[in-house]
Amino acid sequence: MRNDIRDVEVPAEWDRRGLPGWCYHSEALLTLEKEELFKTHWQIACHVSDVPEPGNYHTFDLCGERAIIVRDSNGEIRAFHNICRHRGSRVVADEKGHCRNALVCPFHGWVYNLDGTLRGAARPDSFPDLDKNEFGLRPVECEIWNGFIFLRFRDGPQPSVKELLSPFAEEAAAYQMADKVPVEDIWTEETPVNWKSVRDVDNEGYHVAMAHPALQDLYGASYFDEPYVSGVSRSYAEFNRSGGRRWAVRNYTKMSKPQDYLPETLHQAWVYYGIFPNAVIAMTPETALFYQEFPLSTNRSLLRSGTYRHAEEDRQQRAARYLASRIDRETVEEDIQLTIWSNESMASTSFEGFYLSDLEYGVRTHHDHLRKVLPVYNMEQAPNEDDLQMINSSLDASVAQ
Amino acid sequence: MNVSLSACQEFDKQKGMLFCDVGIKGSGAARYSAAMYFYKQGRLSLEMLEICRRCSKFDHEDPFKLAEHEGIDLLLQSDFEFRAE
Repeated sequence: MRNDIRDVEVPAEWDRRGLPGWCYHSEALLTLEKEELFKTHWQIACHVSDVPEPGNYHTFDLCGERAIIVRDSNGEIRAFHNICRHRGSRVVADEKGHCRNALVCPFHGWVYNLDGTLRGAARPDSFPDLDKNEFGLRPVECEIWNGFIFLRFRDGPQPSVKELLSPFAEEAAAYQMADKVPVEDIWTEETPVNWKSVRDVDNEGYHVAMAHPALQDLYGASYFDEPYVSGVSRSYAEFNRSGGRRWAVRNYTKMSKPQDYLPETLHQAWVYYGIFPNAVIAMTPETALFYQEFPLSTNRSLLRSGTYRHAEEDRQQRAARYLASRIDRETVEEDIQLTIWSNESMASTSFEGFYLSDLEYGVRTHHDHLRKVLPVYNMEQAPNEDDLQMINSSLDASVAQ
Repeated sequence: MNVSLSACQEFDKQKGMLFCDVGIKGSGAARYSAAMYFYKQGRLSLEMLEICRRCSKFDHEDPFKLAEHEGIDLLLQSDFEFRAE
């Protein structure tokens, strides 16, 4: 398939292999992934509606880094490292909350204004004069895209979020996602797999007909994936004309109302944007949501998701949203099982690796994006763990020459 | 929502925070933060700032009662109306 903005055609000939199995259980590779993928690529922290009023804050931890997103006294959203400049304690210990005045470090009591500047150190008589900017909270790069707050802990190869997602700008704007409000707190769950096994499952719809009976019933006839191109992918599906045989699907398609602010092509559709390396923003007529996964270890990952609804919704919309969440919950449980099966194969010496369908080209393009950042993924045999970083650097240099 | 407070408004806001009702969620930290603001202006004693720090995690603890109990001087500047109106 080809669209006007980007070439999403599956080539006639392509390498159908996936990443080598060792990539899913290498400690040394995970260290590189944390440093060169997760900390240097945009991550969705939350939504503007998670911090609606001045003083509201939300925290976000990732691979040993931690951030606080706070709406300051002027209503501006700011992001800082959640690290006191004194001894490095968390300035904010809760996941979310409201600060009535200034941020107070719970360790010794340094006080920071909501713009990050230092109001004062505890026991100020025990310090020389401290410059409020020099000793202020260190900012984290932050960008808001359609209401979603993205952070990046270190500079990296991606352009701005706006530019990254520009192929979808018009479609995304139609959803008015910035005006939505949280359905509930951000959801997290640990899962016993390498993070890439989560993404490998999510990056293809080939398994939908087999593994997700509710999704198949909802939109299986029209579902398609566009692969990763320049860091983003897209999937799209319209409701089946048959109306659904399963209870939740049948009633959801009855209850889901076309939203007058959306173009007709999105009235009865679910749309997904994949954002390299580890996130998805999905839109339905009722909600906008994000989900992502972070590595905790080589064989444990954190799943994280937030869902946002219309600020004003009537009973029918609320019912539709509830039914959509039932379909989605069922799908997530099914996917978790698939990721476990996929991940355990990587530990088997008998498994010879993926042989991918054209319908799984998104998996390959995601892997190709990974290979571009860390060329060591190209090694079919596991390198010595102690040498992995050096080998990656040398491959990096050879690619650059 | 983009409203910057004037110095005068900020003073009033911080004064309100310093004397906010005991028991309100987050009021301990708010009082200590306000105390830091007034300390920096030279309007609050170091000793009173320390009392507010000790009370900052306890929303139900009234730092002024604790100061009175411990015989701490509150004022530094006579032009600062220290009592809540």
